[in-house]
Amino acid sequence: MANLQRKRNRDVAIPNGSMSDIAFLLLLFFMVSTVFVQEKQFWVERDRWPVAESIERIPRNHTTTIYVMRDETILIDDVPTRIETAEDTFVYSTLVRKRDEDPELVVCFRTDRDTLYGVMSDVMRQLQDANTLVVAFETQQRRD
Amino acid sequence: MKIGRKRKSKAEIPTSSMSDIAFLLIIFFMATTKFDVKEGIRIVLPQAAAEGAQQAQTITLTEKEMTRMQIMPDGMIVVNTEAPRSYESGELDALIQQKLKLNSEMIFKVITDREAKYNDMVRVVDRLKAAKIEKISLSTN
Repeated sequence: MANLQRKRNRDVAIPNGSMSDIAFLLLLFFMVSTVFVQEKQFWVERDRWPVAESIERIPRNHTTTIYVMRDETILIDDVPTRIETAEDTFVYSTLVRKRDEDPELVVCFRTDRDTLYGVMSDVMRQLQDANTLVVAFETQQRRD
Repeated sequence: MKIGRKRKSKAEIPTSSMSDIAFLLIIFFMATTKFDVKEGIRIVLPQAAAEGAQQAQTITLTEKEMTRMQIMPDGMIVVNTEAPRSYESGELDALIQQKLKLNSEMIFKVITDREAKYNDMVRVVDRLKAAKIEKISLSTN
């Protein structure tokens, strides 16, 4: 005779009492690890940057940004300047100071894609004089 | 005097929806956070000649050792002594591969006219970087 056992109806439940603790821990992690970038303004909008394919990530902690606008205005530390004569050495003097503070300095260019190359050449000449030789041309990632 | 029996009622804050609120906040943070990662084409510039130093040594390179790519104001490119013409990205890739077949250690010198657009220089350097070339020289006409 078959042994017929009475089936027990057990409640199977996933313990979710600590779910809110986990969620709040995650929330705290996001809030603590988020660093707000303090830039007054994006002088050259991202959609005005050139498009490139072979781009690499640049560690942010050793960078300084130079904006070069289409009208040849150069912005470094949100201070506008121009290079018109040999006496216009604001870029040079700023970079000498920054390189002394951080020898691993990388200068990132956020340049309007329609800027004439002459102004970039002048800026890079001052970079060479200031011995800040690692530069990066910030670009948009090509998507096709 | 009527003395009423005190009822012991449990005062509790309902916490069952706490996790829903927390997850909603997380989703909000994750959706609105914009990572400002710097990405671009990295180049190391040559050192400037020291003031008062003796004149830099001049080295003459042949076409087999160095390819000269001159970017004109209208975006056309002059490769070595060839006539100026416009290159699509695919054509540039083919040209670079052709030069690398001649010499795998080929140096590419990108000479950009002062009146040329910055975008044209970046486009050429991008194709060179895509071909894993490290010996790139930037100069101005």
